[in-house]
Amino acid sequence: MHIPEADFEDLIRTLSEARSRATELATSISARLGTEHRLAVLANAASLRIESMLREVRSSATQGTDIAGGLAELQGALHIETQPVTPAPVNPSDHIRPGMEAMTAFAAQAGLELEHWLPMFVNDLNSQVRTSGGITFELAERLLQQRKDDFLRDFLIARRMYRTYPHLFPEIQNEQPSSESQPIPQGGAS
Amino acid sequence: MIIDARELNDLTRRATDLMSETADVPRVLRNRLGEQHQLAQAAQEMQGSIESLVQELRCFDISAQPAAADTYDGS
Repeated sequence: MHIPEADFEDLIRTLSEARSRATELATSISARLGTEHRLAVLANAASLRIESMLREVRSSATQGTDIAGGLAELQGALHIETQPVTPAPVNPSDHIRPGMEAMTAFAAQAGLELEHWLPMFVNDLNSQVRTSGGITFELAERLLQQRKDDFLRDFLIARRMYRTYPHLFPEIQNEQPSSESQPIPQGGAS
Repeated sequence: MIIDARELNDLTRRATDLMSETADVPRVLRNRLGEQHQLAQAAQEMQGSIESLVQELRCFDISAQPAAADTYDGS
């Protein structure tokens, strides 16, 4: 018994979206009824179940036996993703918010594109600290996981687009003329 | 804290949507891995958790909430 790669992709995408929705729902219920209310407790429990499920499915996907060239390749992409890329010129607009400004500065300092996941993650952390006045390891891990999920989702979409419409990506075809390997987003697609 | 009928309906709708969107997860895992597999069972528990939330939201009695404080200040 095994799970095909396509099923893993669908499961991860479904659970990732469900987790976001469940978190929002739990937050709404808690805001209305208080965190101790039975409905809030149930909503948080459902959210945690989804998150746990997503973690288990993701773990199974990376350990799966039938995903050669699929999610394993994605792991490679994630590693490549961490390599520094050509710094993007900083071009602050007239109305950049403080968080955005900090994110831009961080990206420039680290030599990363603004769209790279790391500046966005740091921005998430800053936003969390600003809004709640603190942060925990658990929350930081959750924010990082969300960034990772976002990247995974976008990567899978990009790969499907390339598979379906290869003629729209001539620059990639030119780079890899003798290979059917999938395009790997360089530095910061998220 | 008080919740009105419109808000409750919205929360119930969102929870129901969540339940529908995740309904395939246990089925896929059960079909692929068998009912006894840990992942399939975890998915079933997850779905049960969401269903409990939906059920509670549907049964929630707005009228049983404590009366809201009158915030009208007369101005």
